[in-house]
Amino acid sequence: MPVHMTDITSSSTRTYLAIWGWLAGLMLLGVVLAELPISKLWIVLMVLALSSVKALLVALYYMHLKMDRWVLWLVAVAPLALIALALGVVFSSFFIQL
Amino acid sequence: MSNAHAASAPHASYATATGIPNGKLGMWLFLASEVMFFTGLIGAYIVLRLSHPQWPGPEGHLSVPLGTLNTFILIGSSMTIVMALAAAQAERPIDSVRRWLLVTVLLGGLFLGIKGFEYSTKLAHGIVPSSGVFWSCYYTLTGFHALHVLGGIVFNLVVLSWTREASLWRAQRHRLELAGLYWHFVDIVWIFLFPLLYLL
Repeated sequence: MPVHMTDITSSSTRTYLAIWGWLAGLMLLGVVLAELPISKLWIVLMVLALSSVKALLVALYYMHLKMDRWVLWLVAVAPLALIALALGVVFSSFFIQL
Repeated sequence: MSNAHAASAPHASYATATGIPNGKLGMWLFLASEVMFFTGLIGAYIVLRLSHPQWPGPEGHLSVPLGTLNTFILIGSSMTIVMALAAAQAERPIDSVRRWLLVTVLLGGLFLGIKGFEYSTKLAHGIVPSSGVFWSCYYTLTGFHALHVLGGIVFNLVVLSWTREASLWRAQRHRLELAGLYWHFVDIVWIFLFPLLYLL
């Protein structure tokens, strides 16, 4: 194996197929949930939570973040912290306006 | 730099001072900046959406089956490109890598084709970006995403072109991982755009 590529030998192609199955299943679950006659707020929370889980699966298994060094975790998480900060400011001003 | 030094220096893209190949670290940093770019757009969309309780109204109908199909296609293409990487890692015959990459490119093209069909249907009904705030957001978000998909397809085609010669492939195959990282990022963006635009 070339030394300059991520070592993915521990992740078999079977794992990749299983993740694909999960991604497709969670996507269909989101589509079904969006049609349920329940509170819109619950639908939004559940569907976005499902999207976050799918994104996490892609990052951990397909982008191999699960096996990568902590520096890459830092690079991946840093924008999320900034996003949380930015959205926090935006939404706090939005609700204060209300 | 002398020729002797240049010959002995590691390849710039997998030289490392951090334990992570520079090319890979560079790609992750680029993706971090891209996260901020799309967060700005999606954040603006959410704020506008919250300001309009009736959003997008009956005129804002998007085809959920088409959106679902496109999501399925993009998720599938993420799987096929990681299969290409796995084949390269396992040093399987180059045909195996080429096949998975080709399928990835075709799925990306299919995604754009369906998106183009959606655009043409809307445009035929006179729905343009200036038709309303929702449509401005829709065309902006999906347009920028489609441009990223197109960029990913070009990147994958370049990597695919390196599989023509074994010696070229040996020198360049580490870039497949970079193409894969970019492609998965494009997939993650769509994973959020699909429910925001089509389902909620």
